[in-house]
Amino acid sequence: MTTADISHHPKFMAKGNVYLPHLAVVERIIDETGDTKTFQLNFKDEKLRNDFTFESGQFGMLSILGIGEAPFCISSSPTRREHLECSIRKVGRLTRALHRLSEGAEIGFRGPYGNSFPLDLLEGKNLIFVGGGIGLAPLRSLIWNAIDNRDRYGNIDIVYGARSPADLCFTYDLEAWDKDKTVNVATTVDAGDDSWTGRVGLVPVVLEEVEPPAKNSVAIVCGPPIMIRFTFPALERLGFTPEQILTTLEKRMKCGIGKCGRCNIGNLYVCRDGPVFSYAQIKDFVSSEY
Amino acid sequence: MKKHKIKKRDLAKLLSEWSNEFTILTPSRAEGATKWTKWDGVDTTFLDWYRNTTVPPKALFLPAMEEMFSFHRDKEGYHIEAPLLDTPKQLVFGIRPCDARSLALLDMTFRDAYEDPYYLAKREGAVLVGLACTRPYDSCFCTSLGSSPDDSSHVDLLLTDIGDEFLMEAITDKGNKLLTSTSFTETAGKAAETRAKESKETAYRKVTRKINVEGVKDRLLSCFDNKDYWEKVALKCISCGICTFLCPTCYCFDINDEFIKNHGERFRNWDSCAFPLYTKMPVENPRPEKWQRLRQKVCHKYEFYPMNFDVIGCTGCGRCIRLCPVNWDITLALTNLPAKAECEQEK
Repeated sequence: MTTADISHHPKFMAKGNVYLPHLAVVERIIDETGDTKTFQLNFKDEKLRNDFTFESGQFGMLSILGIGEAPFCISSSPTRREHLECSIRKVGRLTRALHRLSEGAEIGFRGPYGNSFPLDLLEGKNLIFVGGGIGLAPLRSLIWNAIDNRDRYGNIDIVYGARSPADLCFTYDLEAWDKDKTVNVATTVDAGDDSWTGRVGLVPVVLEEVEPPAKNSVAIVCGPPIMIRFTFPALERLGFTPEQILTTLEKRMKCGIGKCGRCNIGNLYVCRDGPVFSYAQIKDFVSSEY
Repeated sequence: MKKHKIKKRDLAKLLSEWSNEFTILTPSRAEGATKWTKWDGVDTTFLDWYRNTTVPPKALFLPAMEEMFSFHRDKEGYHIEAPLLDTPKQLVFGIRPCDARSLALLDMTFRDAYEDPYYLAKREGAVLVGLACTRPYDSCFCTSLGSSPDDSSHVDLLLTDIGDEFLMEAITDKGNKLLTSTSFTETAGKAAETRAKESKETAYRKVTRKINVEGVKDRLLSCFDNKDYWEKVALKCISCGICTFLCPTCYCFDINDEFIKNHGERFRNWDSCAFPLYTKMPVENPRPEKWQRLRQKVCHKYEFYPMNFDVIGCTGCGRCIRLCPVNWDITLALTNLPAKAECEQEK
């Protein structure tokens, strides 16, 4: 796999005025943790509901009209099209407003934007997912995608951690994956509590304990920057080359389509050239501002 | 392509004729800073004072603030009112060659991957009538960037001052068409062309500020992590953002919403990489320091634009030099770049 392989090739491109959001209804809100909720969305427009497609790894610009707009990855899988899901942590003005919404509320969505996980290159490979906190959201889209096409992939390992048991997202998915005999799940927390009987330890450490074989494998990593910084070397110690490590990056964005300027890392725009990059690409970045 | 000439005193008549088809935009100092506004139908005295506008012509295509759409909310939910993106027929009269070039540079970004319908609608209807420079500023350095005071590459029609008259050279079909109907111009002879050539050569010599842009992309690449250098370069910068707002090739924008009594608007407005908020995320900021932001500005034009579009994203118009409140100078920042070996030592 080379850097050129994960280029921008959107299959679904909005026509006309790309800045106009499509109205979508929040059909269900799932409480993930104290500060994170998953929003299940469906477009109001029936034609768009049928025509809309996306790929795992892509993101959308979500807005509450009158409050503002920001990028969020699509955390559901394109193999499960009943609704779109975005999982959102409460950290700023817009996300606080999103958390105040009730089911039935209308929001704006435009997209999907960005590149995606390169399924053609992942086919036939062992997949090792390494996630931390809300960083599981973009991985989750690909995990369900792979499970729904189980025969196309080798082993599936998931190493997921959060600061505490209460900070674990998608616990219902973790249970389902744990029950799936074809998937290995290692869930860990930085610090347990009285009721926690699972693993305790940082994600990169647990990853090295799980010791997934590097041969014919690809690791897909997403989490807080500190976790990513320690996970890349841990994977390299396990024998993974930078080409075998994928991640998805996050930046402040306003347009989502490579115009407004702010999400650049050197000459690349995370919205247009990413958000999925290989560690080999990241090592080649002009700037360390990622 | 036609070559005509026109007496300066007949210019208002010509503009009136063109105004039957186009909205004529000329340099104006009606509201403080000089900028492009709709011609009043009479006044051509801007020819006496106009060297270049403070506010660049990008403002005609990417306004400092622009409504993108409006919306309202009622019992049934939200309703978005899509804007009618018409293509106004605008004639920009007197645009300087450097500024015409800046629009060609902006086109690259606004056409790339996804088309920006707001910018392009306005751009497609525009005709650029250039006016070759006769009095460049001390801060101008267009000749170092492969351009010149009489560069006709990006205009439809180029005017050159030849005393009491202008030589008018059609460059594109659009420009040629401007000369078909007019009764105030006449075909230019050899004498007019000779005078225009002299005028152009004199102007060329007046651009005395020079920089060496050979290999600048690679030189910036090797200096990118030289923190000491960039800190030194940014020392006197006050992060006011003027150099970016008034730069003809800076296009960064912010998008915001307003909502009052169930009616709202989403609009975009100029933003600047000089401000920490530009990149700030709730948890972290990739460019918290002033020197990182100034480096971004310089590298965007001289390193990243060449990487993405194979052209330097600066026209040498000199606005960022002459309008800077603390006399920051991009040509010095580029000229003083340390050698590669020195930068590697810094790492």
